[in-house]
Amino acid sequence: MGFSFDPYSPAVDSDPFPLYKTLRDEHPCFWSEEAGMWVFSRYADIVTALNDWQTYSSASGNLMTELPNRAGSTLGTTDPPRHDRLRGLVQHAFLKRNLEALGGPMRDIAAGAVAELRGVKQFDFINDFSSKFTVRVLFAALGLPMGDEQTVRDKAVLMVQSDPVTRAKGPEHIAAYNWMRDYAAGVIAERRKHPQDDLISHFSAAEIDGDKLDEMEVLLTTTTLIMAGIESLGGFMSMFALNMADYHDARRRVAADPKLIGDAVEESLRFNTSAQRFRRRLQKDVAIHGQTMKQGDFVCLAYGSGNRDERQFQNPDAYDINRKPKGHLGFGGGVHACLGSAIARMAIIIAFEEFFKVIPEFHRVQEQLPWMPSSTFRSPLRLELAAG
Amino acid sequence: MPKITYIEPNGNESVVDVPEGWTLMQGATSNGIDGIEAECGGSCSCATCHCYVETHADKLAAASETEEAMLTNVAAERRPNSRLSCQIKAIAELDGMVVRLPAAQS
Repeated sequence: MGFSFDPYSPAVDSDPFPLYKTLRDEHPCFWSEEAGMWVFSRYADIVTALNDWQTYSSASGNLMTELPNRAGSTLGTTDPPRHDRLRGLVQHAFLKRNLEALGGPMRDIAAGAVAELRGVKQFDFINDFSSKFTVRVLFAALGLPMGDEQTVRDKAVLMVQSDPVTRAKGPEHIAAYNWMRDYAAGVIAERRKHPQDDLISHFSAAEIDGDKLDEMEVLLTTTTLIMAGIESLGGFMSMFALNMADYHDARRRVAADPKLIGDAVEESLRFNTSAQRFRRRLQKDVAIHGQTMKQGDFVCLAYGSGNRDERQFQNPDAYDINRKPKGHLGFGGGVHACLGSAIARMAIIIAFEEFFKVIPEFHRVQEQLPWMPSSTFRSPLRLELAAG
Repeated sequence: MPKITYIEPNGNESVVDVPEGWTLMQGATSNGIDGIEAECGGSCSCATCHCYVETHADKLAAASETEEAMLTNVAAERRPNSRLSCQIKAIAELDGMVVRLPAAQS
């Protein structure tokens, strides 16, 4: 039997890295039957594709398994110049210097969430800490009304998943997405009536030279921000906690000297970013590595593989917080590099500064982790940790 | 591949073959050159990949409005030859180009 790479298989959810290595070494431009798309796995090829948006377009969707009617109305699913216009309208709020005011509230939220774990011997990091933290931070940042936190979180987690059997979004995933869109529509309508000093009020009213976001753009951009703020941030926090649980020396150094958290976060973004794979669509034929890809074909950019490419990173399968892996693909790159990277870095560092104060020593309880079924993202559904 | 020379704040000079289509920022970050932070990853929204263009300025397209706006945020002194390296793509015409990196990016 020949080599296959099926991003819908539970094996890829749990451990894609050996398959990535075979892809990089033997099939650097691979046609995945199961995904119905090409797969780029080498760092250099991914960077080249990220830069060349004229050839590798995002306008047909960027999630490996796209949600219905989403492509074309969000930052991640448009190309320049439309993309640059959208980004210009929203990015102001995400610049590092405009995030300072969130630091205090984030720290209070983190301290409050971890205080509930004081003296607790064993807990689920996701249910008992990271999801509480991310939902509360997002609600504070976006000015969302409190009360629906748990439902919003559950829907955000569900909408990024895909069905491993049908290799598509299942009815429950699409229903979660529709729920989120309706929820976002309600919040937007409310903010239009009663604007306040929050992100949604700002960008639903943002104007540059008389240009505004249309209704669908406001709606789907808000929906995506909620999804990213809860699911992507939470997913990566659980990966970071997992790395800290598994690599004792790194954890002890970081817990003893919290100034190292930033370096450890960068290494985790390289080592196992939760954003494993995104896709692009070819606008012309491309010949590469002995294959000819056709205009209209989709191409998966496997960031998680590029980050383990030995052609770029020495000893890539070692987790090393001294590495300072500049240029990693943990947040993608190029014009579509993650809008939330500054807020995400800030949130994770603050969350773990507070977490380590209460729980400096911990280890994993489960030998096998239950992994989220998703063709795009990778993180555990539960992460049982034992303190001490 | 165009060869680009990066002069780091400490005077170190590195000559890098940057693949065509990559940005000068990526040429630096993927080769371990200090002096470029590139916190936003290349989306022209952080001003931490600031460089001074020492040669080949006539071969470059003018900075976009977004880049101009972002250049007002650079941490080091902004000079007439200041650019964001994530907005300069390596092309054959830039072979032999020299850029100098500022002492601070943030």
